[in-house]
Amino acid sequence: MPKCTINGQEIEVKPGATIMDAFYQMDQKEKIAHYCYHPALSIAGVCRLCMVEIEGNPRLQIACNTVVTEGMKVNNDSEKVKEAVKWGMDFHLINHPLDCPICDQAGECGLQDQYMAYGKYDPEMAERKVKKRKVVDLGPRVVLDSERCILCSRCVRFTEEVTKTNELGIFNRGDRAEIGTFEDRPLDNNYSVNTVDICPVGALTSKDFRFRQRVWLLKDAETICAGCSTGCNVDVYFNKEGVFRLKPRPNEKVNGHWMCDVGRDTYKPLNRDARLLDARLSEGSKVEYMIPLMGARKAAEWVREAKADPKSVALVLTGQYSNEEYEAIVSTFKADVGSDRIFHWVNNPETFEKFDGLLFRGDRNPNTKGLLQAMQRHGSLNNTWNELVAALESGSVGTLVVAGPLDLSVFPDLGEKLASFAKAKRVVWLSSGRSDVVDACPSPLIQIPMRTHVEKTGTYVNHAGIAQTVHAALAIVPKALTLSEVADVIAGRDVKRGNAPAGVGRRAQNEFTAHRGAL
Amino acid sequence: METKILSEHYHKPEFRALAGYKALGGYEMLAKALKMERQKIIDEVKASGLRGRGGAGFPTGVKWGFLPNNGEPRYLLCNADESEPGTFKDRKMIERAPHQLIEGMIISAYALGARKSYIYMRGEYTGPGRILRQAIDEAYAAGLLGGNILGSGFDLDLDLYMGAGAYICGEETGMISSLEGLKGQPKLKPPFPAVQGYLRKPTIVNNVETLASVVYVLRDGVAGYRAHGTEKSAGTKLFSVSGNVNRPGTYEVPLGYPLKDFIEQECGGLKPGRTLKAVVPGGSSAPVLTADEALRATLDYENLASLGSMLGSGAIIVIDDSNCMVDVLGTVSHFYWHESCGQCTPCREGTGWLHKIVDSILHGRGKPGDVDLLVKVADQMKGRTICALSDAAALPVISFVTKFRDEFEYYIREGRSKVTGKGPTDAQMHH
Amino acid sequence: MFQLSDEGKAFVKKQLARYEQKESAIIPSLYRVQDENGGWVSPEAIDHLSELMDIPASRIQEVMKFYTMFNQRPRGKYHVQVCTTLTCGMLGGRELCSFLMKEHGVKGPGEVSKDGKFSFSHVECLGSCDTAPVMQINREPYHESLTEEKALKILKELK
Repeated sequence: MPKCTINGQEIEVKPGATIMDAFYQMDQKEKIAHYCYHPALSIAGVCRLCMVEIEGNPRLQIACNTVVTEGMKVNNDSEKVKEAVKWGMDFHLINHPLDCPICDQAGECGLQDQYMAYGKYDPEMAERKVKKRKVVDLGPRVVLDSERCILCSRCVRFTEEVTKTNELGIFNRGDRAEIGTFEDRPLDNNYSVNTVDICPVGALTSKDFRFRQRVWLLKDAETICAGCSTGCNVDVYFNKEGVFRLKPRPNEKVNGHWMCDVGRDTYKPLNRDARLLDARLSEGSKVEYMIPLMGARKAAEWVREAKADPKSVALVLTGQYSNEEYEAIVSTFKADVGSDRIFHWVNNPETFEKFDGLLFRGDRNPNTKGLLQAMQRHGSLNNTWNELVAALESGSVGTLVVAGPLDLSVFPDLGEKLASFAKAKRVVWLSSGRSDVVDACPSPLIQIPMRTHVEKTGTYVNHAGIAQTVHAALAIVPKALTLSEVADVIAGRDVKRGNAPAGVGRRAQNEFTAHRGAL
Repeated sequence: METKILSEHYHKPEFRALAGYKALGGYEMLAKALKMERQKIIDEVKASGLRGRGGAGFPTGVKWGFLPNNGEPRYLLCNADESEPGTFKDRKMIERAPHQLIEGMIISAYALGARKSYIYMRGEYTGPGRILRQAIDEAYAAGLLGGNILGSGFDLDLDLYMGAGAYICGEETGMISSLEGLKGQPKLKPPFPAVQGYLRKPTIVNNVETLASVVYVLRDGVAGYRAHGTEKSAGTKLFSVSGNVNRPGTYEVPLGYPLKDFIEQECGGLKPGRTLKAVVPGGSSAPVLTADEALRATLDYENLASLGSMLGSGAIIVIDDSNCMVDVLGTVSHFYWHESCGQCTPCREGTGWLHKIVDSILHGRGKPGDVDLLVKVADQMKGRTICALSDAAALPVISFVTKFRDEFEYYIREGRSKVTGKGPTDAQMHH
Repeated sequence: MFQLSDEGKAFVKKQLARYEQKESAIIPSLYRVQDENGGWVSPEAIDHLSELMDIPASRIQEVMKFYTMFNQRPRGKYHVQVCTTLTCGMLGGRELCSFLMKEHGVKGPGEVSKDGKFSFSHVECLGSCDTAPVMQINREPYHESLTEEKALKILKELK
């Protein structure tokens, strides 16, 4: 394990590690200017900003392509390095439009942040700037502004090395070089927005996010993507108007540095306009709204009324909830209700086993594995869906409790299943989303608004068995309940709202936090 | 006096074809080499002091010594991309003596243990390309290439690869990228080509003249080869001379030859009534010499380095007093702007910036301070990039504006040339 | 829709097998496509090559646009490339190109003459500085030591 000294600080690195790796290892990546280096991509060595001085070498070297050797003495705070970086920054900027006021990247821009730290501050470029293409439509999700591009080649390397789809290239040479796709064909793979994330400037922006919020008006908090069983680690960006975007957070064990485009959209059902805001009781043509807790009490009443014959109470679970909730509801059913009629609703059996080779999985639930583990613990794993269907058909189900979807869009069989559920005398429907299909259910039905994964603390087990605990980040529908709370009401216990979101994430921070760091 | 070692028979048309080349002693050294120990050939090349003739002047034998002995297949590539402005000697060599190069390559490949070899030639060289193709075919037909060459058991395949118009493919890793079917962008070093080059396999890249010289190192022996030139700049070298002289062309002289004699004797001096203003001694990227410096210079690596310039590819551009130095620098800075591959930021942006400043001056839009700014920008482009193109673009700018500062200041102040009295011409405007 | 001739396709297939790495066949194949497509490489031609060679179009496009000998736009039957760097610049290359363009009623580099016969471009050093100024027409061997009269005569003789 070679040891070296960086800016006077001694550090031991893995054999083969570069000086840049050492900066990352010391958690000092912001102490070395760089654009083209990305830990998950090949080394390009083209931005020429990560200059370091190595004792005994008269020529400055780039940290990203220089392997640490034993006893190496490195610094990047000498005047020589500072001068090189200052001019390196300026070369990046001479043809850059400097249109930060209308640029979406402003506030999380590598150029801005690093200019503050390393900039020359006295621009001497007085010639005409190179004109390049603006507002280039790069497909369903990405827009390109070529003048802002600093040709770091991260996006090109991404489509070459990660997705291996090769849509992007750098065409022409010298200062006429531009990134793009062949003949403007769409950049249309399921990982395209990662190119926006890794773009250190505002050259690639997300069609979905652009012009919707200035980033310094957003807070962020750590969570996971609930879009499939991979459980990519993400940051959720929000303010009091709601959630605006998800971005991947690196986790080598789960998602590397990336997330898929489908997952990006999973913030949409979190927002109020897609949500069930109040409990809704419908019996025939009569519709009544009430606060969620009252709705839960009504549901508890229905369960109690059917409980005379425990067999007439059944529970359907989807893979959308946390371990803690499964444990609460299943144990409540077993112990308090006395029913073992607990069933697993597999929402899309045809694609359940599919995997695209990168991250996206056909099991579109964050916690199928946690659900199956809970059912196994409580001996309900052998209950088959056919048993439930038979019971419903025979009219023996008095009250059916359905812990339904948090994301309705991944339940293509929603209508079909509801038609079957409607054969129960009464249905308790737990969901975070509002749906006309559910509203139209003919049997007596109470819908209770549930909290989403960003509004509660809970543990999710991904496809590989990795358990990830996430914390409440914000409250979008504050009165909504968790499955555990519903279990408490059904059991007649006091509702412990211990994990109620405080309205901010664990990483509560000033709304005007700059230096969010595009790297 | 010219000393014709490589070029002894260049004036004979029959030297181009295999029969004529053989009749004049060709391929005798190959036969000799194939009976030698490989290491012995490498040692001789090392001892001869032969240095790379493409521009960098790196000792050839030392470069060969960087090949690792790891049993991996290795490649010998010949750099015939010749694109440094002012340089045309490789083209002449291939036109006059294609078999000289082929013989040098077979010997070198044998010494290095390479079984596959390419000649990468710039795409514009259609004429020389046809001549070389024909010579390669002749060599194959005569059993000089292919399997079991001259019954030695040594196999070598040699192919010609034509580029498609990019100066940067003369940089050895740019050339490798191009040969691999990519954009001709130089690769990060390390790894160096000797360790990981073509297809990430050990690779030696040598210039046309360098490889041809190997034949004569073997023919004349170390002492014979070193009989010409200086201690550190051994042997003879082909110089490409162009510009304002009466007899431009390719001349072979021993290294260390006085530049003054060269211009006055070999090149027939300047046009009547003209005086020498400047000389670019080693291709467009070599810093320009003033007339005074040029008349003191000798044509070897050390002397030109001591004058702050370099021997480079041996391309000498003679500039007389009829030329406006602002205009001359205009075409040079245009060249580097046009040829920058665009991957490293300081070069991509710097070459454009330099070109625009010079162009503004030429169009009468120069600003006070532009001269200093040119030097400042050029200084910051040196030693900052993957390859040397950025330095190559910076060096002429610094030397031109430093040594001929008055011409630049005048142009900025008056909006016209101090030499011609004119502003930009139509032709320059089109450029 | 552009398609290579059968011989052209066979040529490309041969190039694919000729080198250690199939991408090395891109440059020779682009030359072939350009020759069969009237002197330039169209996007359709790249699509065609991409399919034929099983190499992403973006990669072929990158290569095509990197090298100056591939024309990205239609050009005249005779594409006249006049060297204007350094020695050729000093000895009249730029003036020669302007003269030839004027003579053929062409306003600037890249424009094709009305009869479709000529287009002109400045090129960087062709490596024939001792015979400056020089020009190259299409991919033929150079015309050297030019004067305006000599160059004009050469163009006049082209059918």
